Amino acid sequence: MTDITNEAVAAVLARAGGTVSVELITALSGGAASATYAVDAVRNGEPWPLILQCAAAGDMAMGALPKVDQAALQMLAGRHGIPVAGIVVVLEPGDGLGDGFAMTRIAGEALAPRWLKRPEYAAAGAAMTGQCAAVLAVLHAIPLAEVANLALPGGSTDAARRRMFDHYRSFGIDSPVFDTAFAWLAERCGDAEPSAIVHGDFRSGNFIVDHHGLAAVLDWELAHLGEGAEDLGWLCANAWRFGVWQNPVGGFGQREALYDAYAAAGGARIDRARAHMWEVWGTLRWGLSCLQLGNDHVSGRVQSVERAAIGRRVSEVELDLLHLIRYGDI
Amino acid sequence: MAEQIEAQALVEAVQQFIAQIEGRLSGREAFHAKVAANALGIVARELAQQPRAVEVAALTGFLGHDASLDAARAEVCGRLRMGQLTPETPGLLAALTTATLAKVAVDNPRYSTFRRMTEGAE
Repeated sequence: MTDITNEAVAAVLARAGGTVSVELITALSGGAASATYAVDAVRNGEPWPLILQCAAAGDMAMGALPKVDQAALQMLAGRHGIPVAGIVVVLEPGDGLGDGFAMTRIAGEALAPRWLKRPEYAAAGAAMTGQCAAVLAVLHAIPLAEVANLALPGGSTDAARRRMFDHYRSFGIDSPVFDTAFAWLAERCGDAEPSAIVHGDFRSGNFIVDHHGLAAVLDWELAHLGEGAEDLGWLCANAWRFGVWQNPVGGFGQREALYDAYAAAGGARIDRARAHMWEVWGTLRWGLSCLQLGNDHVSGRVQSVERAAIGRRVSEVELDLLHLIRYGDI
Repeated sequence: MAEQIEAQALVEAVQQFIAQIEGRLSGREAFHAKVAANALGIVARELAQQPRAVEVAALTGFLGHDASLDAARAEVCGRLRMGQLTPETPGLLAALTTATLAKVAVDNPRYSTFRRMTEGAE
């Protein structure tokens, strides 16, 4: 990727209008393919805090949405009233910064263990279940025609399960628990055609939370077409509860309250067995992410002690899957 | 004792070394030092607890014949893929639970689900 210089970023931001300079760029996270930066810009003499996300051109993770479509979907969600960071500018090939976009930096807490556990966020946490349900109900009600021009992955439920299984098999790992979960899902997932836009990564770690609750929904890169209940199941995976397992909804709420608020906001009535199926699905999907991150290390794609250690979280996921399948709950 | 310095002692020595330098690191390096210390904890527990022996016993007990760990895993997975085993097959989930509890006891004994299933915190 090209060097991210203050001058290059300022030139891009100037397309949004005004007199723009960039004072500081701080790398927040970065992998082999994409990186996120905090950009302290100044526009017309006023501080302009932004986030820049960019990826080496053409180098996308499997199943991820192209950055330009991710930006378009985020803007669409914002127009429907979903709290998101406003897109400021989308990178163009001539910018030399790869694929990506700049967006406003929303004030608040992004680290879930903080807003889940610190007393000053107690009121925010209490509001989160209803707010998350309302956001998902709005997202899932957007007519698919509005995203017909975006490269959102789709396909039927069973085709998605088979893609997930192929992904698992690509690692060359034999996990009897994962295979049990795939067999369990095959008996239950059905084969419906997509009916909604699914955020795809709607979890406690992808929110900005302020003292009023949900301030922004981040990371739309795994959005796809499918069944809305998938987002509710993913939100309830044990991995995002950060130890607060008694609150199955993201570490902050109860399932029935989530389902009731979702229906009250115009969403479908959630069938308990269907929700359970999506929780098994989501937990298994997180397990494959652990395998992927461990594989990054083993294959040499991104070697780090962190990736290697995440590979050992596979057993946590296996235990969650067994608990879900044996006891119908976790 | 076969060696003056057993693998366990080496792991502990490296853990102590990381603890010594951790305070001088910041940001990503400090985070990775913590992850590295945790990873050494996994190695130490794996050396002490031998979770693979537990898993191979659970899987071969379920299958009803001897096999190496890799072969036992491959057989269970292969039979699930062919539909010869299902999640409802008697004994399967129990054997997998035994094997997985032994793995998590090594990988992360503080994990919520592990504690729920072993300490009766349900």
